[in-house]
Amino acid sequence: MWRSVWQVDTSTTAGIIAMVLIVLGAFLLMLGLIPLLQALPPRGRRVLIALITFFAGAFFAAEFFLPLTKDNENWLTPGVQPAQNVLQIIGSLALGLGTYGLIRLHLRNVVQRRAQWGYSVVLLISFLTMAFFSIWNTLAAKNLLPKNSVLVRGFEILFDYTLVQLDAAMFSIIAFYIYSAAYRAFRVRSIEAGILMFTAMIIMIGIMPLGAAISSWMGLPSEVPKDAHPFSLESILYALSLPEIANWILIKLNAPVQRAIEFGVGIGGLAMAIRLWLSLERGIT
Amino acid sequence: MDWLQEFLPLSWERLNIWIGVICTFAIYSILYRENPFYRFFEHMYIGLAAGYSLGPLLVDILYRYWVEPLTQGFWAWSFVVPFGLYLYFIYSERYGWLSRIVIGVLIGASAGLFFQEFASRQLPQLNSALAKPLWQTSNNDVVISDVLNNWIFIVFLLSVLTYFTFSFEHRGVVRRVATFGRWFLMIGLGAMFGNTVMARTALLIGRIYYLLHDWLRISIGGG
Amino acid sequence: MQTRQPAVWDRMLAIDRRILYLLLFVNIVVFLLLPVQLKAVISPPARKFYNAIEKLQTGDLVMVSSNWSASTIAENKPQLEAVLHHLMRKKVRFTIMSVEAQARDLSYRIAQRIAKEYGYEYGKDWAHLGFYVNLIVAIKGMTTDLPATVKQDVEGTPVSQLEVLKGVRTLADYKMVIDVTPSGTMPLWVSYRPKGLIVLFCPTSVMAAEAYTFLDSGQVEGMLTGAKGAQEYEQLLKIKGQGAIFANCIQFSHVLIILTILLGNIAMFLSRHAREG
Repeated sequence: MWRSVWQVDTSTTAGIIAMVLIVLGAFLLMLGLIPLLQALPPRGRRVLIALITFFAGAFFAAEFFLPLTKDNENWLTPGVQPAQNVLQIIGSLALGLGTYGLIRLHLRNVVQRRAQWGYSVVLLISFLTMAFFSIWNTLAAKNLLPKNSVLVRGFEILFDYTLVQLDAAMFSIIAFYIYSAAYRAFRVRSIEAGILMFTAMIIMIGIMPLGAAISSWMGLPSEVPKDAHPFSLESILYALSLPEIANWILIKLNAPVQRAIEFGVGIGGLAMAIRLWLSLERGIT
Repeated sequence: MDWLQEFLPLSWERLNIWIGVICTFAIYSILYRENPFYRFFEHMYIGLAAGYSLGPLLVDILYRYWVEPLTQGFWAWSFVVPFGLYLYFIYSERYGWLSRIVIGVLIGASAGLFFQEFASRQLPQLNSALAKPLWQTSNNDVVISDVLNNWIFIVFLLSVLTYFTFSFEHRGVVRRVATFGRWFLMIGLGAMFGNTVMARTALLIGRIYYLLHDWLRISIGGG
Repeated sequence: MQTRQPAVWDRMLAIDRRILYLLLFVNIVVFLLLPVQLKAVISPPARKFYNAIEKLQTGDLVMVSSNWSASTIAENKPQLEAVLHHLMRKKVRFTIMSVEAQARDLSYRIAQRIAKEYGYEYGKDWAHLGFYVNLIVAIKGMTTDLPATVKQDVEGTPVSQLEVLKGVRTLADYKMVIDVTPSGTMPLWVSYRPKGLIVLFCPTSVMAAEAYTFLDSGQVEGMLTGAKGAQEYEQLLKIKGQGAIFANCIQFSHVLIILTILLGNIAMFLSRHAREG
């Protein structure tokens, strides 16, 4: 029944039964742990959470900092891949939490007949229908369930012709709002606003083909020989073309600004990471 | 007449396009004013999006990383999902703290991984900034325009960093440098704004292209 | 007391926003229909992107990280299509992975369609490795042990049976990763990748400005910026795609937006001047 300490032989009936019992036992054990954990005093709970947080972080931090031996790994490296799988599973349950919260809210709307509960019915029906087809489609792709015309047609209508179109349309209306906001709210009342607007305008036109067309119409060269002197008239005129100015702003002026922001965010992120790792941040864990 | 026959939803393919168009106009109706048509499709969109995610989550993740190892007999994995389900206690007032155990694992792991991210992400950029040649020598083949650009890079970087240093009050020369830093920051923000406008407009153009090309079957200029 | 009649510029400032929406809509329709096709100027990051893929040899292995959903389909789809065309033209092997649920199906279908044109066989020349919840741990896992992290592709085929991944132990066996994304996934690839793995970036335009610091430091070798980047790439590859159509229309919307901003500011100054006068 046992291939090794960590693996049950599931090719036998006894092995399958053993696995089912182990899984059920795991659920019962975690359920049974709850009264024990609940018995912990508040201080004890905080210590438990802080310890778990610390060890979860210590594993990856130590794995990074410990020197590498042969084969570019240290003694913790083999643990990274199983840890990855565990975090993927927990991460998926965390994503499911959002879905659960959404469904819970709308179910409550329907049951309690709150205002506009009809829309919640629409949401729940859409959710159930799409979930059914999505799970079926994903299992069918792995040949775990049969694929038929109902699945293909249903998934096509729901995904390709409804969800994709709604998603694209929802995000495309932002363009209208940006345009309206740019007209109503973008006012040059200070030097900073002026610099921002001027730069944005140069970028918006310069990086597009229209910028090159305008520069060409103004008589500026669209290219310069490789061996041309950097301060020759031809080079200077080429440098004054809109595409060149726009690219220069992006590559030479924008890059150091973004780097400064990166440094600030990085140092702040590092400080926050240490605080979270050591559970110094209140209200999180 | 041919165009009309091709335009109307007389086949599965055309019906699908019409469904997409109705969805698009339903969402765009909010631009005129709030209406039940928009609300209906908005709620349908949220339901579809939430429902769709279950397929990849359950099959690509849970089935691949949990069910399959269990079917192969690796019994230790059986504890992972029950442990992860502690997250759902977040909705309970009495047992809510149990969810923080699982959140602690996720946050601890992210924090522990951040050291590598800082080292691999920020340090090479610091190295790159410090390694920029600021004058021509006989050893480097740097041209004068690159030297000028590198000086501009360093001045911009230091000015913006000065602006972001809030640990002490900006006075005198530091204040002037910080002011220049704020102006240079506006250049970066202007670049971001220009790119943002381009991105959002592209999304709208994509939608209108769908309406003109796929639905109305109009030939698009140059396309 | 006599009230001042609203002047032209006051009426301009109070214009109904629905008129503005209609103006933008008409602008886009007109310039989509007009046969205007301006040639793109290839930007340095796009040129570097192209050159990086040109340097690949037949049989090299590339990871395409496709993380976009339908919300950014207009920018990321032309990019992904152009990139896949180039990879298949170079007869390079590739695998696709996604950290966005929708991206899994979207990228799979696009790759299937383009693969048919080049006679690429699924499993032998390319494969889709499915959806992952957490990109950081996925990269870390693949850097340590790729087969144990991936386990199987979207069709349920175990990694050991995929010819495209024959002999592949870790991410270090890949030559490059191409990140097609509307979100901040590129810094994660830069941070956690094995040494020597080249990173190429295909963001939506929103994310592009922040990436120039990574381009400057060499952490990212090349970049295609949104639909404009897709247009440049299509031009380099000499293929017809949606990037050129969209980019040609975008520029005229920019002209409208710039004129509108200028108009709004002029109206504000004149209105203020009239009030003070």
